[in-house]
Amino acid sequence: MKWTLIFFMHGLTYAGLLFLVSSGLTLVFGMMNVLNFAHATFYMLGAYLSWTFLRTTDNFLFSLLAAPTLLFFIGVFVERFLLRRVHVLGHVYELLLTFGLAYVFTELVKWIWGTNPLAVPITGFLAQSVNLFGITYPVYRLFVFFSAVLVGLLMALVLYKTRVGIIIRGAVDDSDMVGALGINVPSLFMATFGFGAALSGFAGVIAGPLLTTFPGMGDAILVDAFVVIVVGGLGSLGGAVFASLIIGELQSFGVLLFPKFSLALIYLLMAVVLVVKPSGLFGRQP
Amino acid sequence: MNSLVRKAPFLILLVLFPFVTGKYHVSLLTEVVIFALFGVSYNLLLGYGNLLSFGHAMFFGLGAYTTAVVLHHIPGLGFFPAILLGTGCATLGGLLVGFLILRQKGASFALLTLAFNALFYAMATKFTFITHGDDGLSVIRPKIDFGIFTLNTSDVVVFYFVTLAIVGAVILLSWYFTGTAMGKTITLMCENEERMKFLGYSTNTTRLTLFTLTGGLAGLAGSFYALFFCFVSVDAISIAMTTTVLLITFVGGIGSFAGPILGAFVYIYLQNFLSDVTDRWQLFMGLIFIAMVLFVPGGISKLLQDMPAWWRAGHQINADKTGE
Repeated sequence: MKWTLIFFMHGLTYAGLLFLVSSGLTLVFGMMNVLNFAHATFYMLGAYLSWTFLRTTDNFLFSLLAAPTLLFFIGVFVERFLLRRVHVLGHVYELLLTFGLAYVFTELVKWIWGTNPLAVPITGFLAQSVNLFGITYPVYRLFVFFSAVLVGLLMALVLYKTRVGIIIRGAVDDSDMVGALGINVPSLFMATFGFGAALSGFAGVIAGPLLTTFPGMGDAILVDAFVVIVVGGLGSLGGAVFASLIIGELQSFGVLLFPKFSLALIYLLMAVVLVVKPSGLFGRQP
Repeated sequence: MNSLVRKAPFLILLVLFPFVTGKYHVSLLTEVVIFALFGVSYNLLLGYGNLLSFGHAMFFGLGAYTTAVVLHHIPGLGFFPAILLGTGCATLGGLLVGFLILRQKGASFALLTLAFNALFYAMATKFTFITHGDDGLSVIRPKIDFGIFTLNTSDVVVFYFVTLAIVGAVILLSWYFTGTAMGKTITLMCENEERMKFLGYSTNTTRLTLFTLTGGLAGLAGSFYALFFCFVSVDAISIAMTTTVLLITFVGGIGSFAGPILGAFVYIYLQNFLSDVTDRWQLFMGLIFIAMVLFVPGGISKLLQDMPAWWRAGHQINADKTGE
């Protein structure tokens, strides 16, 4: 019972990270119809930047704010100067560009920070453990989960209660129509892309102390994030929440119950969803 | 037939090559021939079939691993059975994966190919009892026994000719395939799928056939890769290998059949040059890839095709100037 609870909590933590990465991915996809293969490298960059900021300033809160801000600008730059250029060439070239960017970013990270795993130390209250329903559980993992919940709630608030949210949701449904209504769609795309990158970077910063920071960490979460958006449905935020929880728990209990085949479980789920409902659980029919 | 005659000088050049240059270049050229087939198979998928896959390395790796594993475990296995098993396994893999994911189109198809590649990669790293994980598998090239005489494939030049004969023949066959009724169906399907369906063609079957076929071709390239390096590690099935084939195809140019062959030549020599100059050659390769996508979307073959037109246009302008 005790172990079940611990692994359930581990699953929630991972689900939080997955949601932060996949929500940006699915929003950008829903709006621009571009699947950003470089998205997980923003997550990796977030973790590495946070490591550098922690080394220089020793302030976790600072890196929690600075790294996503920096990634927002990187995302804006990528959209404005690279992605927009190839937009006229068609869909294939946009995907190829993001794929190439992922490769270059990974190589750059290897160049700047080296290939050895880096440990991000965490101090103060976050490093302690608390007593929770009879188990001792690290505060940091709870912190990861609750920051994801907080970000998710904030996103829902913005998307469903504000004017900006209406425009974004409108653009996800039909960006041409939103443009025809006099909204500047290109700058909306740019901001959304930057915001997605920032979210992913935020996930990277909080993942740093939890998992090790190494050049393959982007690839590791990218596949899971892809499975999340396939299962949840491309472009659906609610689907991302739901699927993140399923995948997070499945990962966690998979490691506990079938250590050798934990990865296969996720693919099995994806295969089943693809056969039964190819557009994903919450996706619209194309 | 006419175009085959035009290709003949290149073939003669390739055959004469080892007698002119040293072993180092022969070895590089073997690599070029192998990667040319890999590129050709990817181009058939993307350039002809308009299917963007980020997981082509899984078939390459499947071919490479199968060849390495059977040579490791079955003593006395010949050269050809090892290659055939590798190719067969990759073809089967192509059929299975294609069957699962070809229902999707566009971005979700691309995503799923990457996901499946990641699955194969994870299997290669986890199932250490077959693949030896990160340590990799070493391969001993079997000799080719024709009964009357034996080919010593461990010799660089002999292996080059064997590769050129088999892989070259397969590349020519693929080229022939694009001209057959089946090959034309693929091109037409991309142009207007609805009309092809209306005319009574099963486009899903065509697509699955294409995916399976290109999987098999990539597997053959993988088998030769294993035999060429005498070693297979998880690199053969990694995302980096997919990036390699993307680079080859895009540097050479999609759409034209010869593009990836040219691309393989440029890629191998460029890689060789860059890795001599800098340790960070992969970074530069990535930058070159992005530059190609941004500025030269048609690749080198498109540039070469446009060259005569530019030349003529330039002359026209000059002629006009002198005329004035």
